[in-house]
Amino acid sequence: MKTIVKMENVSKDYGQGDVVVHALRGVNLEIAKGDFAALAGPSGSGKTTLLNMISGLDKPSAGKVWVDEAEVTAMGRTAKSRLRLNRIGFVFQAYNLIPVLTAYENAEYVLMLQGVAAKERKQKVMDLLKQVGLAGMEKRFPRELSGGQQQRVAIARAIAAEPALVLADEPTANVDSATAAALLDLMVQLNEERQATFLFSTHDQNVMDRSRRLILFKDGRIDQNGTPAELQANK
Amino acid sequence: MTFLLHAWRNIWRNGKRTAITVVAVTLTTAVLIVTLSLMRGFGDDMVHNATRLVVGDAQVHEADYRLDRSIYKSIANPDGILQAAQKAGIDAAPRSFSFGLVSSGHKSAGAMFWGVSPAAEKTAFELAKEMFEGSYLSDQAAGQVVLGRKLAKSLHAQVGAEIVAVVQAADGSLGNELFQVIGILKLAGEEIDRGAAIIHRQDFDSLFVSGGRVHEIALNAWDRMSPEQVVAKVSPAVSEASVAQTWRELMPQLASMVDMMDAALAIFGFIFFLAAGLGVMNTMLMATYERIREFGILKAIGASPWRILRDISTEAFVMSVISTSLGAIIGVAASLYLEAHPIDLSVFGSGDMSFSGVVFNPLWRATVDQQTVVVPVVVMWIVCVLASLYPATKAARLDPIRAINHV
Ligand SMILES: Nc1ncnc2c1ncn2[C@@H]1O[C@H](COP(=O)(O)OP(=O)(O)O)[C@@H](O)[C@H]1O
Ligand SMILES: [Mg+2]
Repeated sequence: MKTIVKMENVSKDYGQGDVVVHALRGVNLEIAKGDFAALAGPSGSGKTTLLNMISGLDKPSAGKVWVDEAEVTAMGRTAKSRLRLNRIGFVFQAYNLIPVLTAYENAEYVLMLQGVAAKERKQKVMDLLKQVGLAGMEKRFPRELSGGQQQRVAIARAIAAEPALVLADEPTANVDSATAAALLDLMVQLNEERQATFLFSTHDQNVMDRSRRLILFKDGRIDQNGTPAELQANK
Repeated sequence: MTFLLHAWRNIWRNGKRTAITVVAVTLTTAVLIVTLSLMRGFGDDMVHNATRLVVGDAQVHEADYRLDRSIYKSIANPDGILQAAQKAGIDAAPRSFSFGLVSSGHKSAGAMFWGVSPAAEKTAFELAKEMFEGSYLSDQAAGQVVLGRKLAKSLHAQVGAEIVAVVQAADGSLGNELFQVIGILKLAGEEIDRGAAIIHRQDFDSLFVSGGRVHEIALNAWDRMSPEQVVAKVSPAVSEASVAQTWRELMPQLASMVDMMDAALAIFGFIFFLAAGLGVMNTMLMATYERIREFGILKAIGASPWRILRDISTEAFVMSVISTSLGAIIGVAASLYLEAHPIDLSVFGSGDMSFSGVVFNPLWRATVDQQTVVVPVVVMWIVCVLASLYPATKAARLDPIRAINHV
C-alpha cells in the first residue's frame, strides 16, 4: 500500500539552555494512504507538535518528513503553503470557522483559494454539506450552528478539495460524547466513501477505539503502534 | 466580488467602531472638499481680478520694454500677433504707452497715457465696465480721456471737464492737446488709480507722433485655455526682439502668492490626511488584533500572506469608499451652497479691499470643480489603504501556530 506520510527520526526541541522541552524524541512513522489513524496520548505528549511537523507549520529540530512523497522538511515557505492548500485538509479543536462566512462559504474557502470555478465549487460544496448532514443550513453563520455542526462544516472544508491527507487535532475534544460519536461516524464514512486519509489526535478512549490504526504516544515517543485489537492484545 | 462582500461583513463586525471611523473620515473628506473649494474660489477670484481688467492671460512686449518703458521700444509686428491671436480665438488688445503731464485748471500731475483701441478693450477686458463716473471711450477717436480715480481727484477733474496734455513726442517736438474727461474709473489698483490717462490710439498717435507704435498686446482667452497655451499660440508670430509672457511672469508676486496658498493648502491637507490615516490605522489594528486566531487558521489552510494583506487592505478600502462617498456628498453640497451663496467679507471691513495692487472681491465664493472633489477623495483612498498596510502586514506575517493558539 502507498505511503502518504513518512517520518524519519523526527525530533523537536522547544526552548534553549536549561529549559529545553523535548516535544518529539526521534519519531519514525508511516501512514498508509486511505488509513484512518488515531494519534493518542496524554496532554503534552507531543501530538499537536507531530501534526505540525507533517503540515510544515513547524520545523523539526532533526529528522525528515515526507507527505505524498514530497519532502516537507526540504520545502521553502511558499511550497509549504502550497502543500497545505493543495494536499492537506485541516480540522482544529475548536473555532475553526471564519465567523463572517456562512457554512457554505467556509466550506468553499479552500476551493476558492485554489481558484476553482464558482460553478464547480457550488456543486462540490452543496454535495458535501449534504453528506455531512448540513443540507439546508448553507446560509447559516457559525454562531447560528451548534458546536457539532460547526465541526461538521470544518470537516467539510477539510475534505472539499479532496486532499491527500486530513489532519485533525482533537476534533472531538470540545463536544459532548454523543456529538463526538456522530462526528466520528462522519469521518469514518468520508474515509470509506471518499478514500480520504485521516490522521487525528485524541485522548478520548471512544475515539481511539473507532480508529483502524492507533499510535500511542508518550513523552514525545511512539509507545505502541498497531490496530486497536493488536494493542488490546498486547496489554 | 466575493472578497468585497467578505470585506463588507468584516468591517461591520464591530459596527460602533467602524461607524466612528467612517464618521471621522467622512467629516475629514467633507472639510477638505469645502476648504479646497473655498481656496480655489479665492485663488481664482484673485487671479481673475488681477487679470480681467487689463493684464489678461499673457502679454507681448518688446524684450526690455518692461525694464525701460521707452516709447521707442515697440513691438515689431503687432498686426501679425493680433492676427495669430484672432485665429486662435484669443481676445487681444494693442496698447501704446508714454508719459506726460496733464493739467486741469490750476492743478497738474504726471500721467501715463494709454493709447488703446476701445473696441478691443471692451471685448478683451473688463476695465471699461468699471466706471466710477461717466463712461468709457467711444470706439471712434473723439478727443476723449478716461482718468484713474486718484488722478482725477488730484486734478479736481470731473466728467465733462477739459484737461490739457503736454508731452514730449516721439520726434522730439512738444505735443500739446486738449481732451475732454468722458469717464473716471473705479479703484483698480494703484498704478491705474494714480496714473492712467486712457485715450484712443489715434489720439495717442497724433499727440505723441508715434506712428502707430504698439508697446503691449494684452491677450485674454477667458479660461478657454491656459495662459501657457495662449503664449504658445501667439509665439510663432512674436519676433525675436519681443517676448510673450504669462501673467505669472508679469506678476510674479501674485503668482507666488497663489503658489504659497497652494502650499499652505497642501500642508493643511497633509495634516488632515495624517489624522484620518492614523484613525483608520488604529481601527484596522484593533480589528486585526481581534482576529489573530482567524488569520492563523486561514494561513494554516493555505491562504498566502498576500491574500491576507489584500483582504485587510480591501476592508480599509471599502471603508474609505463609504466614507469618502458620504464626505463627497456633504462636501460638494456645502461647497455648492457657498458657490451660490458666497461669504460676504465686507462685514469685516468697509469699502474696496486691495492688496499689493490687486483688488479683492468682498464676496468669497467657493469654486467646485473636479480637482477640489476628486483630489481629496482619491488621496483619502490611498491614505486609508496605506494606513491599513501596517496592520495588514502584521497579520500577513503571523506565525500560524502562535496565531491559532492566541486567544
Ligand atoms: N511553542 C512551544 N514552545 C515551548 N514548548 C512547547 C511549544 N509547543 C509545545 N510545547 C511543549 O511541547 C510539548 C508537547 O506539546 P503538544 O505537542 O502541544 O502536546 P499535545 O498536543 O499532545 O497536548 C508540551 O510539553 C508543550 O508544553
Ligand atoms: Mg494538542
